[in-house]
Amino acid sequence: MSELTIAMPKGRIFEEAYEMLLQAGFNLPEEVEMSRKLMIEIPEEKIRFILAKPMDVPVYVEHGVADIGIAGKDVLLEQRRTVHELLDLKISQCYIASAGLPNTKMDEIAPRIATKYPNIAMKYYKGIGEQVEIIELNGSIELAPMIGLADRIVDIVSTGRTLKENGLVEYEHITDVSSRLIANPVSYRMKSERIQDLVSRLKKCVN
Amino acid sequence: MSSIKMFEKPLGMRDTFPQIYEKLEGVRETGRSFLRNRGYEFIKTPTVEYYDTVGKASAIQDATLFKLVDSQGNTLVLRPDMTTPIARVATSKLLKEKIPQRLAYFENVFRAQQQEGGRPAEFEQMGIEIIGDNSVYADAEVIMTAIELVKAYGIKSFKVTIGHAGVLSCILKDYTESAEQTEKLNELLVQRNYVGFEEAVLAFDLPKTKSDALLAFIEEALSLKSIEDIEKYMRKNDALNYMQKLWQLLAVAGFEQYIAIDFTLSSHMNYYTGMLFEVFATGSGFPLGNGGRYDGLLEQFGSNVGATGFGLRVDRLLEAMPRQEVENVTVLVLFDPQAYEQALKQATLLREQKRRVTMQSTIGLENVEAFKEQFQEVVYFSGQEEEV
Repeated sequence: MSELTIAMPKGRIFEEAYEMLLQAGFNLPEEVEMSRKLMIEIPEEKIRFILAKPMDVPVYVEHGVADIGIAGKDVLLEQRRTVHELLDLKISQCYIASAGLPNTKMDEIAPRIATKYPNIAMKYYKGIGEQVEIIELNGSIELAPMIGLADRIVDIVSTGRTLKENGLVEYEHITDVSSRLIANPVSYRMKSERIQDLVSRLKKCVN
Repeated sequence: MSSIKMFEKPLGMRDTFPQIYEKLEGVRETGRSFLRNRGYEFIKTPTVEYYDTVGKASAIQDATLFKLVDSQGNTLVLRPDMTTPIARVATSKLLKEKIPQRLAYFENVFRAQQQEGGRPAEFEQMGIEIIGDNSVYADAEVIMTAIELVKAYGIKSFKVTIGHAGVLSCILKDYTESAEQTEKLNELLVQRNYVGFEEAVLAFDLPKTKSDALLAFIEEALSLKSIEDIEKYMRKNDALNYMQKLWQLLAVAGFEQYIAIDFTLSSHMNYYTGMLFEVFATGSGFPLGNGGRYDGLLEQFGSNVGATGFGLRVDRLLEAMPRQEVENVTVLVLFDPQAYEQALKQATLLREQKRRVTMQSTIGLENVEAFKEQFQEVVYFSGQEEEV
């Protein structure tokens, strides 16, 4: 049986995905100590986890240093990397939406959009026939309309509380997001039995 | 943007240092003699082509083409692949001499990188094209040549995945209700987005028999044991018969162990009209190469004789090949200026014996001992007498 390297996003998604692997009957320790370790070896299952920033998981998988990985659909849409999307794990479900101050229209000459997802935002506005200027931010996107940096923001929404607390309202629902199981194209062929087995076992655990 | 430093190269451009150069030459020699023994003739085409001919006909994304403008204002491209230039030269000239043509190449091609590092913008590609043979035997020959070529490089763990554009489009057409739906599903398969495929099938609101069939197809197509298993999804047609015949031909050659059939295989290269395949090997995170029947490309050049072939990426081949030490036994003939004549005689003698000889004068060296250490064998001619 060949060694399988799995790239996992740190934090909450890791815990949920790990829980699914346990349910799927993988022989993993009940508790993993998640301190500052970046690699976890599970010799019993010949699995190695590497822990990465969520945005970086597709990078490891595309280059083949990880065979498979778990990545948010938002990251996949934004980066458009060459990986196979095998299974929707239906965890960390949320969506991407545009939002702004209530009862406002977008500037007609050069509407500005602040976002962490420049490609998704650009593609969406192009699709609805709107030429916009994208301003890329790395966090606290909600600030942008509040202090007049942008007309709209495009960001992840899960409960909508952050928007509300900052006096913003949602305008357009852009796309649904959840965590996906992705695979490197070469690993998918060369380790196909292991990966297929994992997919079918996980599939049964998806709600 | 920061200003360019003197040591910098354009994004994705790489130097080839002596060690890699030797490996590349090794790959080239092996490939050349292997392919020539199978009746392929090597060909070279210009590095620069017209954008309107080769640039447009090529299936390589426009954004990754290196473009230039000539003195008449024509847009030129650095060739992004070899298949398109070969189609050009074959349809315009070679096919008048002999048909079918068996051509081979080992050339550098160019793809501009905008995103990030880790990918070369110029790399070597090696491949073959059979032009003017429409038969299944030509396709079988292409696949067998690819397999044996990969084996010739000592690569043991590899897989060739074969599909057929005709089989796939027949299934997609039969179970969807409009051309847009077919197109959409095909696009998702090109991206290998199985999740998106299932979502799209459910979103189309197809009759249950059709959507169930599509979902079952996608599930089963990935673990197909034989071509017969796909028959229940489609009408008997030429494409399926073709694949059965192809499988037979490959089985006679004893290559089943290297082959996986995957009818969901689809390519962004829309000129692939028939069978198509991809080559994967352990050791490289990216496919080694791909190939297929591309009659559609020749039509763009005004010919309908049909063509099939494959190309391998040499940089990825090097990653997947077992490591071997490049033999590097060079004799150093070191001499003091007074002993120049003696040293020259000795060097000539050794070179006649096919030894590799480096001649170096001691007065040109700052650190004689450090230089000597790079050689396994040193012959030293001092002014007085010879010592070894």
